[in-house]
Amino acid sequence: MRFALAIGTFLILVVHGIVFYNQFGHPWERNQNTYFDQAKVLAKTDAEKAALAARKPRIEQIVVSNFGETRVDRCTTCHIATDDPRFSSHAEPVKTHPYSPTMGDFQKDGKWERRHKFSEFGCTVCHDGQGRGLDAEYSHGKDEYWPDPLLGFVTQDNWRKDHAPKLKGKDYMQANCAQCHTDTAFPGTAMVTRGRQIFFASNCYGCHRIEGLSDGTIGPDLSDVGRKWKLDYLWGRITDPKSILATSIMPKFNLKEEDVKALVVFLKSRKGRNFAETEIQRFKVKLTGGAELVQATIKPVKINPAEMVKQGEKLVLDRACTACHKLGDRDGGIAPDLSFEGSLRDSEWVYAHFKNPKSTMSDSIMPAFRFTDDEFKAMTAYLMTLRGQATPASGEAIYKNLCLRCHGEKGDGHGPIAEHLDPYPRDLTKAGFMNSKSEARLVNSVRNGVNGTSMPAWGKAVSEEQAKAVLGYIQTTFTKEPRRELKAKVIPETNPVAASPESVTRGEALFVNRCAGCHGRKGDGKGPNSLDIQPKPRNLRNSFFVNSVDDKRLFESIQYGVQGTAMPPWIDYGLTNNDVGDLVNFIRSINPKSKGGQHAAAIQ
Amino acid sequence: MSPATPPKASFLTALTDLPKNVWKSIFRNPLPSNDLERSSTSFTNFFLHIHPVKVHKNSLRPAYTLGLGLISFFLFVILIVTGILLMFYYVPSTTQAYDRMLDLRGSVAFGTLLRNMHRWGAHGMVAVVFMHLCRVFFTGSYKKPREFNWVVGVILFLLTLFMSFTGYLLPWDQLAFWAITVGTAIAGYAPVIGKDIQFLLMGGTSVGQEALLRFYVLHVAVLPAVLTLAIAIHFWRIRKDGGLSRAEDADPVVSLEAAPADKASVLEPKKLYGFQGLVRGPLPKVGQIPDNTVFSWPNLFLAELFTFVVTLSAILVLSLLFNAPLEEPVNALHPPNPAKAPWYFLGLQEMVSYSAFWGGIGVPGIFVLLLLGTPYMDRSTKGVGKWFSRDRLLANTIFITFVVANIIFVIIGTFFRGANWAFVTPW
Repeated sequence: MRFALAIGTFLILVVHGIVFYNQFGHPWERNQNTYFDQAKVLAKTDAEKAALAARKPRIEQIVVSNFGETRVDRCTTCHIATDDPRFSSHAEPVKTHPYSPTMGDFQKDGKWERRHKFSEFGCTVCHDGQGRGLDAEYSHGKDEYWPDPLLGFVTQDNWRKDHAPKLKGKDYMQANCAQCHTDTAFPGTAMVTRGRQIFFASNCYGCHRIEGLSDGTIGPDLSDVGRKWKLDYLWGRITDPKSILATSIMPKFNLKEEDVKALVVFLKSRKGRNFAETEIQRFKVKLTGGAELVQATIKPVKINPAEMVKQGEKLVLDRACTACHKLGDRDGGIAPDLSFEGSLRDSEWVYAHFKNPKSTMSDSIMPAFRFTDDEFKAMTAYLMTLRGQATPASGEAIYKNLCLRCHGEKGDGHGPIAEHLDPYPRDLTKAGFMNSKSEARLVNSVRNGVNGTSMPAWGKAVSEEQAKAVLGYIQTTFTKEPRRELKAKVIPETNPVAASPESVTRGEALFVNRCAGCHGRKGDGKGPNSLDIQPKPRNLRNSFFVNSVDDKRLFESIQYGVQGTAMPPWIDYGLTNNDVGDLVNFIRSINPKSKGGQHAAAIQ
Repeated sequence: MSPATPPKASFLTALTDLPKNVWKSIFRNPLPSNDLERSSTSFTNFFLHIHPVKVHKNSLRPAYTLGLGLISFFLFVILIVTGILLMFYYVPSTTQAYDRMLDLRGSVAFGTLLRNMHRWGAHGMVAVVFMHLCRVFFTGSYKKPREFNWVVGVILFLLTLFMSFTGYLLPWDQLAFWAITVGTAIAGYAPVIGKDIQFLLMGGTSVGQEALLRFYVLHVAVLPAVLTLAIAIHFWRIRKDGGLSRAEDADPVVSLEAAPADKASVLEPKKLYGFQGLVRGPLPKVGQIPDNTVFSWPNLFLAELFTFVVTLSAILVLSLLFNAPLEEPVNALHPPNPAKAPWYFLGLQEMVSYSAFWGGIGVPGIFVLLLLGTPYMDRSTKGVGKWFSRDRLLANTIFITFVVANIIFVIIGTFFRGANWAFVTPW
């Protein structure tokens, strides 16, 4: 017992010894003593030597309150020679911080003067890192939990091994320079400028919002992305979006390494609010939306009418259109194939779609990009020249070439890009739907397209025989049920109820009562039941669709239902033709007839 | 000549005797060399008088108690000392707390050691208190007359958990923030009043400045006071309930007539003793029964000192080898995936992942009620004072089932749960 007691006590003593040794033999004290010794040797006057002899190791700190939240920087405790020019060729940490004219340092009476004095700026404002610590590992932000490791100098252990070497270099510090030097062409922040250009040139702004720069809504807001994420994450998200988040729909942009680096520096400089901004400036940017910034950042291409197609091609290829769309070998895997665009759409449609995608397709997710009018025209002209290859004869080949991208390998509508389309592509395996429509109607859908949806008019590329061939292929391969004779239906040719405000009011009441559960109170197809329904209820505010179908078809769909979908035959639930007439009048009333439908106003 | 004037010589004597006199005025007894002095030392010293003068040999058997109760207490003492020192540096403010942690780690003298000792001491205390509870159960020590002390003990265990839980938030890093978010959410699953308890704890609907302040006050003022009081009651009742439990056959039954020839301690008839010097029981037995007790000085005190030294050195070594974690500063928008409660609540969290009510409130509530009710339901007096007595097979089996289940859940929750609480293997 007594022996064990002695051992235990001894252990306590040993631990205390180690702790005290660590406490009083702190590395920074040794650093400072080294500095004092060497400085004494270099000292020229006795007074200088005496002053050095009187100095004892102590914690040095700079409290910076001018830049954001108050910072306490104790870096100079170890880096004690930062402002002593005699130590310029010594080894870190006892080394002079370099003087550089590009940083604004200047010589006065043969002595360097700093533009950014440490006493005013501290260290972490520019370098990041953890200013409060006195231990190199923690202060430099090497532990994986510290959000801001020394920018461009320190990579953390859990960073991707193949990225880490690329994330070192002084260039990264420009992200912090840009916190104060916000001019778009500031010479010291060339990487930020370049990154901003790429942000616009690669159309990142179409999906991402950065306060004061862009207002995309598809991707995450990047206004304070630099404060939230470390370099490693930014690099990874840009070069391989799905590697970090499997559900990411961000396209993989094939950028050059230098461009990725510039983009990372630019994004790292987005910290929500920088030191240079005032409340008023932020408010002003909010008012203008910053639309002019795109043109200010990337010079618009001057379009020469003679070379319009060529210039358009260059724009389409350079500005990352193929990050989403397919064009020849390039395929972003998100948006439709543009290879046949000249046969499918007319130039008016394409131009309008460019200017405002929703003006030709109500639920398109394509962002409205900020090109100039001339650029849009050139790109339209180029797309009009694309006619693809000659359409093959066999139904199977046609399906694989033209239909598969949306309708899928199994014909079930889950094509590779289907999840980005609204309305969702038709499920061709549903015999209820396929066999309740006449062949003429299906051929019509193929050759003339379905307005307001991603189904284009294939008429110029696919002849009537070819359409029948591909429908035959679909029938045998996917639908798998032979066509039956269609039952005769009693449907009025035109709406028996005249359009009047009273009829619309009656129709609205009926709609809210009977239809809103699936189609939603607004008629936008987003009713409470719509979540569980596949295919989704039709968006009845999609004017391009609603205006392209006649009253007879609306009557048929309502009175006899749509087989293969959740739409029931309302004739069974007691709706008379007059009721349906009111409903049709109501639906027509929420879809103005003018060209462009409800979005006409939005374009102007 | 006034008689009040002391002679010079006696003043000098007073001066030279000053250290001796001061010492004697503080420690009235010399280092004990006989039994009278031994007992006198025990009951005249403020710090020792809580002990009995004589203690049963059974209570000194390390294999019986494992010293767990004492270790818990010493950990509590270490926690109070390091906690008070840490309080000098801490500010319960969402903007400053994390910076203070950085200062503690970076520039405060012995800051890292203090924080480590407090952290590992706290984890250790949760574990040791629970082991102490198990020891008391397995030896059947909660039985009459110790029923209420068992209840106090269970309350102490819950207080310890709550104490550790409230302290978990104070570093204000991601680990703390999300563990408390999860922990308070578990409280929210209680029926009827769950949401109100959650609101009361957090001072709002999410963990923020109010929660930090509340947890701080609970951690440094309210809970330590309550815990200290409960510990005092716990110790006092140990004495009043006749010391530590022991088996009935620990003292051989002897008839009063047959006086043993030799005795473990000799009671000299002419010497004076306080009652503290006498073993419990009817007076005529005194000096007649075989004495299975020994004097606390030095037997008990040395054992206690040894336990203390072992506890302190264990904590010191741990603190030297392992640093208390400090993760990213709080970011309320980026929960780590998975967000985990402190380890001792991971069993609960694991059960919550099956059923919010039963895992978080139902099963643990029943467990606590069973614990509290144990001495009143199990009235048999058999099997006291022996580890895993055969007489207590049923009770021990039920208890072991609960304990092992909880330990398994804690292990699964700690090591086998990854992102989205999906099952992962740690290797």
